[in-house]
Amino acid sequence: MSRTVEVEVEGRALRLSNLDKVLYPEPGFTKAQVIDYYTRVAPVLLPHLRGRPLTLKRYPNGVEGKYFYEKECPSHRPEWVSTARIPIRSDGRSVNFCLAEDLPTLVWTANLADLELHTSLARAAAITRPTMMVFDLDPGAPAAVLECARVALALRDLLAPLGVESWVKTSGSKGLQVYVPLNVETSYAQTKPFALAVAQLLERDHPELVVSRMRKDLREGKVFVDWSQNDEHKTTVCVYSLRAKAHPMVSTPLAWDEVEEALAAHEPGLLAFDWEAALARTEEHGDLFSEVLDREQTLPALARAG
Amino acid sequence: MPRSIWTGAISFGLVTVPIRLSSVVRRQGISFHQLHDHDGARIQHRRFCSAEDREVPREEIVRGYELEGGRYVTVTDEELERLDPDRTHTIDIERFVDLGGIDPVLYDSSYYAVPDGEIAAKPYELLRRAMAQSGRVGIGRVVIRTKEHLAALRPTGDLLTVSTMLFPDEVIPRDQVELPEARGEASDGELAMACRLVDSLSAEFEPESYRDSYREQILQLIECKARGEEVVVEPAAERAEPAPDLMAALEASIARARGGSGEDGLANGQGDRAGPASARA
Repeated sequence: MSRTVEVEVEGRALRLSNLDKVLYPEPGFTKAQVIDYYTRVAPVLLPHLRGRPLTLKRYPNGVEGKYFYEKECPSHRPEWVSTARIPIRSDGRSVNFCLAEDLPTLVWTANLADLELHTSLARAAAITRPTMMVFDLDPGAPAAVLECARVALALRDLLAPLGVESWVKTSGSKGLQVYVPLNVETSYAQTKPFALAVAQLLERDHPELVVSRMRKDLREGKVFVDWSQNDEHKTTVCVYSLRAKAHPMVSTPLAWDEVEEALAAHEPGLLAFDWEAALARTEEHGDLFSEVLDREQTLPALARAG
Repeated sequence: MPRSIWTGAISFGLVTVPIRLSSVVRRQGISFHQLHDHDGARIQHRRFCSAEDREVPREEIVRGYELEGGRYVTVTDEELERLDPDRTHTIDIERFVDLGGIDPVLYDSSYYAVPDGEIAAKPYELLRRAMAQSGRVGIGRVVIRTKEHLAALRPTGDLLTVSTMLFPDEVIPRDQVELPEARGEASDGELAMACRLVDSLSAEFEPESYRDSYREQILQLIECKARGEEVVVEPAAERAEPAPDLMAALEASIARARGGSGEDGLANGQGDRAGPASARA
């Protein structure tokens, strides 16, 4: 029996539909629970969404059904949902993206079975200026999250002497993601080649562990350091987003200590968090990713080689 | 000229007309490829043996028909060929019937029949005209690709068209479809009104005026996406602009920052690691 309820969220009227629909069949996790999770995690999540073009990844029939990406903000949106029209190519075509500015919008996207939230590295107001640089560490079996942990630490230690601090989160899927907050005047023309050079340097120094090229067949037993997401036209899964896996896992911020401990204990389970664990952590630690929002860092002017 | 898929003859009474069949339908469907969400690479379908867990070459694959309890009998191509119906090369017309007497649900696939060679042209034309004049449709049997079909042969413009038909036992009987019980009968007035509505919408059937708008929408979507940003690029097209200079510069900067101590720049980061989050956990 499908249940539709009218709710008011922060003064906005919303119709929530099919609340009993199971979106994660294995644990029997329903749409009501998805909405509940996003409502509860909103205080730490919303600052990371605000102002950023949002790409919806919708699973109307749950994680085992078909999904689709939606960049254009649905035309049936409530009139109070903010949007930003972003040019996507030089030919003048543009996409009107949703901006998840507040709790009602987040509840509305959750009601659309938008399980995953994918955001731009830039804010709509300055779309060519990424506020951060990201490295997506994607393991190729049999490599897994612990190999990612080794690479994440190597990456952190490579950047540190350059005066650049980094933060780490789980992808909520197989790997980890390392973020470098910038929040200064910069461009993808600067961050993307820099990220590539970092990835290549990691690969050269850890050839048994790291690969910097995208080809899948190179990845077996190694970690692909994906530098290419530092691009105006790419999105990365937002921190605290659910993932559409068998279980409702969350892209969860980590402390570097935790990465080291998991590696020392050889315990991959320490680097995976479902929605409950992720919520418990925000209660205990607050937002471990808050500094990614405002820490100002400049990528160094590099010394001449040789 | 479309490729012919069958050569043979129409035979009725003592007359035999050599013909070829070619397909009527030009499928306009849009075919998609399956790609891996993650990297846009093409999905391959491979045949695996469930017991050995290895890929099986085509020549090791045989046909099995499942008996009860997961037991199978295997059947070879040769065995099937030996059973093939022998009427492989004629369409034997058994009756001529009224076109209106055929339930359209029986129609399956249609083929154009064209006379095979000059000698066939005259009897073909004769048959076509006779059928057109009588307003009748020839019913017979034809074997196309190892399956026997009921077939209707009818004149359509200058051509004879063969439509294969389902055998009645292939059609689900209408009484097996459940209808909800109607509450109360419609009045004469309601019926008259419904009839007037039907009349007002009546027209000659003009197939040209119908288009596959769903297909057009999909093509439009594809075109937009191809122009826009959401095109999935196959990894072969990756642009890893090599940055050896930048890499060297980066390395030099790291070495300088470390005071040229010569230690491995990556494996060891104990002295100066960035630990903003670690302080808070």
